[in-house]
Amino acid sequence: MKTTLPEVLAPAGSLEKLKVAVLYGANAVYAGGQKFGLRTAADNFTLDELREGMDFAHARGSKVYVVLNSFLHDKDLAELPDFVRFLEEIGADAVIVSDLGVVRTVRALSKIPVHVSTQASTLNVEAAKFWKSMGATRIVLGREVSIKDAGIIRREADIEIEMFIHGSMCMAYSGNCVISNFTQGRDSNRGGCAHSCRFEYTLEDLATKEKKSAFFMSSKDLQGLRLLKDFIDAGIDSLKIEGRMKSHLYAGTMSKVYSEALRYYEEHGDFLSDDLLNWEKELSKVSHRSYTEASLENPAGAESIFNERENNSAAEWKMVGTVLKSSPESGIVIEVRNAFNQGDELEILPFRGSPVTVVAHEIMDLTRKTILRTKPTTIVRLPYHAGINSSQLVRQKSV
Amino acid sequence: MKLTGFAENLHELSLLKENGTEEVILGMRAFSRFGRLDENTFFPMVKRARELGLRIIFEWDILMTEESFKKTVADISPFLDVADAVRVQDPGAYHWAIQQTKKPLQFVAENGNHNIEALLGWCHAGAGRIERIILSIELSRDSILDYCQKLPVPAELLGLGRILLFYSPRSLLSPLNPERETVNEDIHALGESEESPHKGFPVLENRHGTFMFHIKEFCLLDYASDLKSLGLSFLRIDQRFNERNFFPEAAKTANREKMFESFREEYPQELMRGFYHVNKSDVLFPKLKNMRLQNRSGDYLGEVLEAEKGSHLAILVKNLRGIRVGDKFRIVHPKGALFEGEIHSLKDVNMTEQTFIPHDDLAIIPFINGVWVKSQVFLSTTNE
Ligand code: SF4
Repeated sequence: MKTTLPEVLAPAGSLEKLKVAVLYGANAVYAGGQKFGLRTAADNFTLDELREGMDFAHARGSKVYVVLNSFLHDKDLAELPDFVRFLEEIGADAVIVSDLGVVRTVRALSKIPVHVSTQASTLNVEAAKFWKSMGATRIVLGREVSIKDAGIIRREADIEIEMFIHGSMCMAYSGNCVISNFTQGRDSNRGGCAHSCRFEYTLEDLATKEKKSAFFMSSKDLQGLRLLKDFIDAGIDSLKIEGRMKSHLYAGTMSKVYSEALRYYEEHGDFLSDDLLNWEKELSKVSHRSYTEASLENPAGAESIFNERENNSAAEWKMVGTVLKSSPESGIVIEVRNAFNQGDELEILPFRGSPVTVVAHEIMDLTRKTILRTKPTTIVRLPYHAGINSSQLVRQKSV
Repeated sequence: MKLTGFAENLHELSLLKENGTEEVILGMRAFSRFGRLDENTFFPMVKRARELGLRIIFEWDILMTEESFKKTVADISPFLDVADAVRVQDPGAYHWAIQQTKKPLQFVAENGNHNIEALLGWCHAGAGRIERIILSIELSRDSILDYCQKLPVPAELLGLGRILLFYSPRSLLSPLNPERETVNEDIHALGESEESPHKGFPVLENRHGTFMFHIKEFCLLDYASDLKSLGLSFLRIDQRFNERNFFPEAAKTANREKMFESFREEYPQELMRGFYHVNKSDVLFPKLKNMRLQNRSGDYLGEVLEAEKGSHLAILVKNLRGIRVGDKFRIVHPKGALFEGEIHSLKDVNMTEQTFIPHDDLAIIPFINGVWVKSQVFLSTTNE
């Protein structure tokens, strides 16, 4: 019997990132409109962009789930029906919801499948059964659930299961942190989290009176690449990558690595490949905190705490731009995000396969004047190189 | 409106009784986030509560992953059996208790549930077994009034007690003192954040994880009669973290037998009323967004990717229609300045003159003084 592989579900913080994720292999993406989702500061999608993103993804066989995962207040909920009707009209494949009022509203107004967000902290079989009885078709489990338990929940509650495999993590049970609400007046469960868990705290032990400073409530980033086989064996339906606020390079790299790894498994029935090391290397090339497998195998322990200041995040490689066009006439036209110099070695990330190394022997501006150094927010041309396509990402090793 | 509260010893049971409550919430270490009773102390408390005629509410408010859920339900029956009602927060506990017990349920809807549709959902799904809903302390007075009128069951709200800010299953304090023997031992600390002007956030690690609380306690005792007029049925006074139990003083203050000002003076913690007057915790959101990103709709055409002074603007065409010679446009600078014009000259990425540039291609037009990269371009009138 052929094993059913989980889908790779990537973040789409904007229309451009949606396209990047789909082109790099994501089977599904999740995106937010201007309201109702948790990433208030993300670009998010206008209605036109949602429609375009939906068409773009569907044309390439990928799905789009729309996040409605804020804990909505009555006035927010009153605005929801029009948006739900719109989502149904444009063919949204599911909505991701954490509030029972939103579940009931969506169910009353549409036939859009409802996925229960991780924000609802669904952790056990009985909770999954509850949400199923409310009409949910999929549960995005809390990050505290192990793969083994997730398999049990899937079997016993008989419902699709989605698990996070990669990205930043709340240290709290999702939806159970209101630090920003009470200290900054920003509702973290409506997208206003101020990331207070990433701050350094001085802690005085009341028994010993000893004082220590630590980033004691900051979590390392999740990375579950080596556990892919366990996810598959447990029958997990969807592997989610966190990060709608993260870069194009992140959306592309994650989609590419996890989809390539699963394709490898589909062909070979195992992950016993040198590629495993390459995939891991690729994951380390994007900006991240130290990685942990958190609770995927055993409950997360002390080693899962990221006791460092935020900007110490590792970023071995930086994104220098995106290919806007590539043809013999135009050359490789790049929208530059980070400057590079003539003679620099760049890597262009194809949608499938190994990165293509290109040395910037000759750089021209848009008017074909030769330049020695690029500037951010400009457009430049490199000589044509077969196999490079528009929307591909260009990166360079950080010095 | 009735008062309710917790008891951790026989003396506290008497305090509740003497101050007019008809019930007690009992929390055990194994099932309650902050409960301290164990099987040796729980049953004597039950016996005494019965003698005093207090109704027993069993608190089961921990969140549980599957393994811990299974263990919990295997152990819970002897304690649940002697209770008059059970108070749950994990939707799994809620579902299990409906299916597997006959006890009336009190649902803790303190986490989110800021709309009536959600609260009605919890009541309806409870198949007539929900006897009380515990409301979020983030609700404003107007919402409380609305909910008390619309809910089919009585509602409860915290009247005095700690504000839980953060609940993590991970042990976050013990790693700071690896030499300390912490098995089943509570660790209490005070946290001071580098970023916040507030000092002294109480932090607790226990067998269920790590909890952080606000430096001030939540207090609506001065609004007790107002809450009563709104239709609130129960006001909870939580004294589990104070060395001295202020239940009697709090009860008197709620009943207007004691001035709120003098209560506040003698109470050991600073007090706040949270969002009672108004909840504006979304008011800052528009400021968090980049203005450039908020206004792309309707006649949106695209974004300026390059502005080469004296030469050209390169616009990435993002609308599906494309751009034509003769189109009138307006450009909104990232800082808001407006530029208007008409397309007379249009080039493609190869700098070749064109009359039309399609979706997703670069359109090159002559430079306009003052326009920067990231300016947004809109069509004013189209040349169809
Ligand atoms: S402060 Fe940290 S734990 Fe709290 S909601 Fe934000 S990311 Fe999550």
